[in-house]
Amino acid sequence: MSAADVATQHRAHVVQRPWSAGRTARVAVMVIAAALVLYPIIGFVAMAFRSQTGVQEGTDGFLGLAGVSIQHAIDNWKTLTAYGPRGGGLFQRWLLNSVIVSVSGAVLAVVTALPAGFAMARLRWRGRRFWLIVTLIAMAMPNTVLVIPIFLQVDAIGAVGQLWPVAVLMGFFPFGVYLSYIHFMTAMPHELVEAARVDGLGEGGTFFRVALPISKQAVALVTFFSFVANWTNFFLPLTLLTSSQQNKTLSIGLQEFIGASPLFNPTSAAGLTVKLWMPELAFATFISMLPLLVVFIAAQRFLIRGQTVGAVKG
Amino acid sequence: MTATTTLPAEAPAGRPRERRRRLSSRETVGGWLLSGPYILLFLAAAAIPIVFAIWKSLQKPSTILRPQGGFGGLDAYKSAVTDYRFWDTFKNIGIVMAVWLPIMLIGVIGLALLIHASPGRFGSVMRFVYYIPGALSGIANFMLWVYLINPSISPISGLWTTLGETTIKDATNPFNVPFILAAMLFFQGVGTWVVIVNGGLNGLPEEVFEAGSLDGANAWQVAWHVKLPMIRPWIGYAALMNIAYGFQLFMEPYLLQQVSAGAMQTEYTPTQLTFAFAFTNRNLPAAAAMSVILLVVTLVIGVLTVFRSGLFGEKDAR
Repeated sequence: MSAADVATQHRAHVVQRPWSAGRTARVAVMVIAAALVLYPIIGFVAMAFRSQTGVQEGTDGFLGLAGVSIQHAIDNWKTLTAYGPRGGGLFQRWLLNSVIVSVSGAVLAVVTALPAGFAMARLRWRGRRFWLIVTLIAMAMPNTVLVIPIFLQVDAIGAVGQLWPVAVLMGFFPFGVYLSYIHFMTAMPHELVEAARVDGLGEGGTFFRVALPISKQAVALVTFFSFVANWTNFFLPLTLLTSSQQNKTLSIGLQEFIGASPLFNPTSAAGLTVKLWMPELAFATFISMLPLLVVFIAAQRFLIRGQTVGAVKG
Repeated sequence: MTATTTLPAEAPAGRPRERRRRLSSRETVGGWLLSGPYILLFLAAAAIPIVFAIWKSLQKPSTILRPQGGFGGLDAYKSAVTDYRFWDTFKNIGIVMAVWLPIMLIGVIGLALLIHASPGRFGSVMRFVYYIPGALSGIANFMLWVYLINPSISPISGLWTTLGETTIKDATNPFNVPFILAAMLFFQGVGTWVVIVNGGLNGLPEEVFEAGSLDGANAWQVAWHVKLPMIRPWIGYAALMNIAYGFQLFMEPYLLQQVSAGAMQTEYTPTQLTFAFAFTNRNLPAAAAMSVILLVVTLVIGVLTVFRSGLFGEKDAR
């Protein structure tokens, strides 16, 4: 419509015709789609701030919005933190584990991806093309395909149930290398590399003294995408950490909550003192989303600028 | 290997000798050193596990009497393929993808074109709204769906009443499961892909659309006859990436089975079967064999994505 409208205006000097049939249909479809997206999400977030009593009695009105209160959220938090052997505390522990592996994984991803992306974009070396293709293919494959082979490997060295292998494996982030590669291709002209060379800098010096200082954008993007991928990763922690209840991350911790909920497993949940109903589950999910919200806001200005780059992978 | 065959094309015959010499010495050292940490992680997180899985898939499963296993040839592949669940898992994936992919592609392309036709604030607000569920990825998205598919608490309980389902066990009956999974995947993925395809549309030259509208085409005709053919590479890319994702489906059916009170089969997808070989049957060679089979399938799709989607290749893999 944009181009069409502009062209019409240029041609006949008429003001854009308001609300033609086509325009009405377009706006209507888009608004309906937006409502379909928002409706369940609003209901779900509201659920985190409701009480099981309200849910059960069905007195909370449209989407449960009438039953929303901060007091319920506080109660839900108390219930969640009471979960676990010897007075609870597992929820906070899982939250901490998630922070540890996601942050270390993201740091490792940044530290490895930027120099590799620079080398692939701006250095001419044997192996450059090979590693670039390997990176692209690795990026195009869902990472779950390697999880069982990774389990076999970690099992062979006896490190199943420990956090460090998870953090190290999360550090392998081909998409970050691709982002850095695109960054150096677009933001660092060849002349800059040549100038550094004339100044007598070696490859390492060029990277650390010339390339890195202009890479705030790439660092932010790699950190953001890597952190989000690590935080939401499910299959890797599931295979490597399920055996140790203390070392679970939040994503598989939430799975344990589902397993312990009387909603789905009345018999096994009957033995537990902590009852996790839908409001508690929704609140746990809500808490698990907050760090993502924080990094999203922190990275937002870089995301908007880097949209064309960031938009290459889902 | 690939480098040696293609580099001459990059450095044509007329290039000064000096360039070539540098290519093979100083910059090569610098290239390997700077990529070194990444390559080490690639070895630890991809290459070694793959080689180890291939080796493991050629072993015999270890038993109490024979804890060492030993060379078993293709036995593990045989036991994986002849497992009574093997073909069923691929059939299930096929059904889910048959429901999900068309909805996904139509939804993504349709919404991307609509956003592209809506310049200004309205369009960008809508794009943001569609992106929101993408932020609820992984288990958070699943939790949301647990709330939606539980007829007693669902905000769409009217739908469940119409279908005659009163418990979550009813709702997750074998007929509904592909639709529920397709809906979950659609809800989670559509926003991200709309942003990607919309980015592709924004990268196209405006003049082309203007020319179209000057020829008397209305906005819908421009979208259908001009924009759609031009974003074909993105559509191909989206289709291939989503097919690869579909083959690897694990978390959603795995968790859905957990809440279905036994209504759903335990090994619904190939990756779940791999998981069961490893953790339920403790038959590691069969799990490895299954992984290798899936790895080959997704590797083929990955190679197609890189070399055939038209988005990489020319500018990147040069």
